[in-house]
Amino acid sequence: MSGELESRGSHKSRSGKEEHLYNPQTIHALQAATRNNDYKLFKEYSRMLNEEMQPVSIRGLFDFNFADTPTPLDEVESIDSIVRRFKTGAMSYGSISQEAHEALALAMNMLGGKSNSGEGGESPERLATKGTKHNRCSAIKQVASGRFGVTSTYLNSADELQIKMAQGAKPGEGGHLPGMKVYPWIAKTRHSTPGVSLISPPPHHDIYSIEDLAQLIYDLKNANKKARISVKLVSEAGVGTVAAGVAKAGAQVILISGYDGGTGAAPRSSIYNAGLPWELGLAEAHQTLLLNGLRHKVVIETDGKLMTGRDVAIAAILGAEEFGFATAPLVTLGCAMMRVCNLDTCPFGVATQNPELRKRFMGKPEYVVNFMRFIAEELREYMARLGVHTIDELIGRKDLLKKRDNLSPREQQIDVSAILDNGLDDMPIRYDEKDPYDFKLSDTLDEKVIIKAFKKALREGKSAQIEIDVRNTDRSLGTAFGSEITKKYGENLKDDTYRIICSGSGGQSFGAFIPGGLTMELKGDSNDYFGKGLSGGKLIVYPDKKSRFKAEENIIIGNVALYGATSGKAFINGIAGERFCVRNSGATAVVEGVGEHGCEYMTGGRVVILGSTGKNFAAGMSGGIAYVLDEHHHLYKRLNKELVECTELSEQKDIDELKALITEHVEATGSEKGKRILSDFDAYLPKFKKIIPHDYRIITEAIEEGKQNGLDEDSAKIEAFYQLIRSR
Amino acid sequence: MGNPNGFMEYKRQDNPAYTVEERIKHYNEFHTPISETERKHQGERCMHCGVPFCQAGLPISGMVSGCPLNNLIPEWNNLVSLGAWKQAYNRLKMTNSFPEFTSRVCPALCEKACTCGANGDPVTVRANEYDIIETAYQEGWAAPQPPKQRTGKKIAVVGSGPSGLAAADQLNRRGHCVTVYERSDRVGGLLMYGIPNMKLEKHIIERKINVMEAEGVTFKTGVNVGVDISAEELLSQYDRVILACGASHPRDIAVEGREADGVYYAVDFLKSTTKAMLDNGLKVGTYISAKDKNVLIIGGGDTGNDCVGTCVRHGAKSVIQLEMMPKLPDTRAENNPWPEWPRVCKTDYGQEEAAAVYGSDPRVYQTTVKKLISDENGKLKQAVLVKLNAERDEATGRLKMVPIDGSETTVDVDLLLIAAGFLGSESYVTDAFCVALDSRTNVQTETGSHQTSVDRVFTAGDMHRGQSLVVWAIREGSLRELSQSD
Repeated sequence: MSGELESRGSHKSRSGKEEHLYNPQTIHALQAATRNNDYKLFKEYSRMLNEEMQPVSIRGLFDFNFADTPTPLDEVESIDSIVRRFKTGAMSYGSISQEAHEALALAMNMLGGKSNSGEGGESPERLATKGTKHNRCSAIKQVASGRFGVTSTYLNSADELQIKMAQGAKPGEGGHLPGMKVYPWIAKTRHSTPGVSLISPPPHHDIYSIEDLAQLIYDLKNANKKARISVKLVSEAGVGTVAAGVAKAGAQVILISGYDGGTGAAPRSSIYNAGLPWELGLAEAHQTLLLNGLRHKVVIETDGKLMTGRDVAIAAILGAEEFGFATAPLVTLGCAMMRVCNLDTCPFGVATQNPELRKRFMGKPEYVVNFMRFIAEELREYMARLGVHTIDELIGRKDLLKKRDNLSPREQQIDVSAILDNGLDDMPIRYDEKDPYDFKLSDTLDEKVIIKAFKKALREGKSAQIEIDVRNTDRSLGTAFGSEITKKYGENLKDDTYRIICSGSGGQSFGAFIPGGLTMELKGDSNDYFGKGLSGGKLIVYPDKKSRFKAEENIIIGNVALYGATSGKAFINGIAGERFCVRNSGATAVVEGVGEHGCEYMTGGRVVILGSTGKNFAAGMSGGIAYVLDEHHHLYKRLNKELVECTELSEQKDIDELKALITEHVEATGSEKGKRILSDFDAYLPKFKKIIPHDYRIITEAIEEGKQNGLDEDSAKIEAFYQLIRSR
Repeated sequence: MGNPNGFMEYKRQDNPAYTVEERIKHYNEFHTPISETERKHQGERCMHCGVPFCQAGLPISGMVSGCPLNNLIPEWNNLVSLGAWKQAYNRLKMTNSFPEFTSRVCPALCEKACTCGANGDPVTVRANEYDIIETAYQEGWAAPQPPKQRTGKKIAVVGSGPSGLAAADQLNRRGHCVTVYERSDRVGGLLMYGIPNMKLEKHIIERKINVMEAEGVTFKTGVNVGVDISAEELLSQYDRVILACGASHPRDIAVEGREADGVYYAVDFLKSTTKAMLDNGLKVGTYISAKDKNVLIIGGGDTGNDCVGTCVRHGAKSVIQLEMMPKLPDTRAENNPWPEWPRVCKTDYGQEEAAAVYGSDPRVYQTTVKKLISDENGKLKQAVLVKLNAERDEATGRLKMVPIDGSETTVDVDLLLIAAGFLGSESYVTDAFCVALDSRTNVQTETGSHQTSVDRVFTAGDMHRGQSLVVWAIREGSLRELSQSD
């Protein structure tokens, strides 16, 4: 009547408009129930969701075929056993506060379930609590496209390593952490620059095909052979085919994530227009794996708004064996669905890094524990009524599910036969732990030769060296041995404690994730992913002395070298392929030329390039410095200037640093070009360009200034961070 | 959305009140507005919650949390912060026919539910609303807007309290011809005579009634439906009848000596003051006065407080307010967290004033009247009070207040005011229309409906849901569920 537009109530709910599963009543009931350990109130919460919200979800169309003779409740699998299948969602430290992140970890470790680090890394102090009574170490460590803080220690702290291919709420996009949430302590854990937005690349730069994914799975298995490798996919049409590929690639767990998942900071266009409910993706993945005889090779997990025992029962019936919860545990910890996760203003201290707001956090791990146990208890009640004893008996039992009787005419039109009537009744239907994927790790050079050769030296901490021949079928060389070093000494052994001198052609992922103390020297060349995730180790590669070509004019290592490197050094006497040092966050590298997209998304470290670069150099680079020898003046055109500036080397410390790195390169590789430059350094110097991100320069200078004014390192960083944020 | 950091940058600022000394000299509203800049900052404090509890109006732990009208609070808070007053007014009036009333008298369920209040002070939602509506009147945006077309349907609304007025407003906007019947001499029901002028100045009601009249609503005062005009007559003249007569049947006290001279219902007392004030500027002898009297008020609710404030202004000698239940804690108890309704001790204006004038809080808890003693002329002289003890009823599990033997005390009382709530509708109207009642004498309907047991007769407000808040009455009267009337 007034001509005013009605509120839609979609992103911000409004009474009488779009229904929201989390509304004032369900939020309050869930919080009160878990805080007071009040199962009766929890039942009221689940009643509201199951009865009043039925038209909101696909599972709302379903009903159970309860058994004529129920199982006595005390014969149903125990709560303690069920909760081991429960996980919390991958919410990074950075997206949520330290308090919230640790509460989730503590809770899941208390229960014997698993919390997920998300993709923001985890501080070494927390990793060290693993196995202690106050265990704040997340059991699942995520490896996402940003590779933030993915170090050897990080990988070795995991019981499960999850490769995030996509997120349910925003398939096809990487994680987003707005700059105002990148406080110094977050930047430290992520090896990035305070105050600078972190946008994870949409793809993993080491995965452009299913074979690449198989390689990453293999890398991670070598990096921590005890961990299960999980691949997170999202519910979308065709996910079954992808899941089949993932199962063949050796993953042990496949997570199907639904579009209802939180991702408070996802773009709205994605929240509303991308992804599908977990019911669809889960059913498709389960069925496709059955049809291809692969279902027993993997555990299927699902998440994306599992809120009640009924939801979990339906997920199990549709094929899920493990179950993830994210928003609900956060709500128990105080989240009231403000939907301001992207603004750093969460008034409950959950999705903020602001120290003042974090003081308001009132969650306790016990609340999450109560929630998980309530879900398990409610699930048990359904299991009893369905006449089953264990979750294993429930998995894939779609005969226990039917379309609800009292559907409205409109609801009746929804065809759910592809979920319920798939004709796949009598096939083996769940993970068979006796028939896992065989990575053939015992056949690797690491297991057969390297680890054995260094056994004594490793035990005694003495330095040692071996020489081996390698072939390009020796993938992830040194990674398994690196894992042994990390487990025993961490990443900070003295440089060159262990040296492996290799001759031949290195396979994919040569020296991936190797920690400090390990040096791998390669006479020959190497395939893609050279030094992936380098964690302190040193890599040296140069052509065989007998070769007659000019090293500086030839490609010596493949694409995506040093992707996600966090520290360490690499000296490459030749040209690297494309995507060199993408997502480098702390390693130092000297190379004699790179292909396209060099230093993309880099957040730290030093790169010296003694030759030309390809196009799109330094795109998305927000930290670290690159020195490029620009003899033919191509750089300016090839540089992606969005975030970086290109300057002459004018400061003495830059000049000293450059000279020292070239000197080290020459000593390590014998580089002819390096020698030439050093012999005539003053003539070469004007041809060098320094590439540095604007914000990185501003904040580095501000930190320096703070320190000169007498602040300690940490205070200087915080002061510089606030200065940067305020200046926007 | 405006400034996401507003709630951290600005503190809550309430409208300043005049001192007690100053304000008890008159019967007018006693808060002064803050500046526009300050008001914008208060708007900026709104956090634009994904799930705004303030506007939900849903029961949480047995009490309604948030606005029953579902006012679009976050939206107009934002518009206030931007200084977009007209847009703010447009969105405010989408859900609320009478912001001028609610912004003065509502206990602000929105603020109790405000997420800002979970850790600190809630947004000044009610004061923001006040500035929006008053700006709208100043700027002429609230001027009459008669419907462009008429349906030709005639509707009678019986009762001109908030629900009746809301029904009249909504139905008139839909083009129906509405006539409102009021038995009293002035329009407004409890808004006019139940709520003292200090909380709601009566010209504010008049201002809105004038607008409604200009928009085509007819008001007939001094006509008591069921007495002056029969139900049949009304039904023959109108297509529909809406009964919105309130829950005006006051709860009595059953004590020895109740018949004493000097015992009044609170509504009658408050009405006499307001009526005399409007009629003759409170000429002595034209109203029930508490001047120089020892006053005893039974009932610790809002009406009891209004009686306290009125008695203070009359110049009472002493004021005691009895509350049967124990005193509530001053801050939220651990088992009463946000967003539940805060079960805390609220000290309202009257109690504040009594404390300032007489030196102590007028409230006495866990106490009730046992007996009233009159003098030889039947005039109330004393009251015997007795202490109560809370005991849990084995059968129902509820708390029961049980008198403590031997705890009796006697106090001097000249005026006793009963502010013990209301029981339900008055029977002469419901009898006249022969509508079915429920066990609490509210007019019976199907849940969510306003249709009574009698064809063409509808009901709304306290008469329908029992005694409640003005804001509920407005919601009831907004007839959201009354699609049959279209």
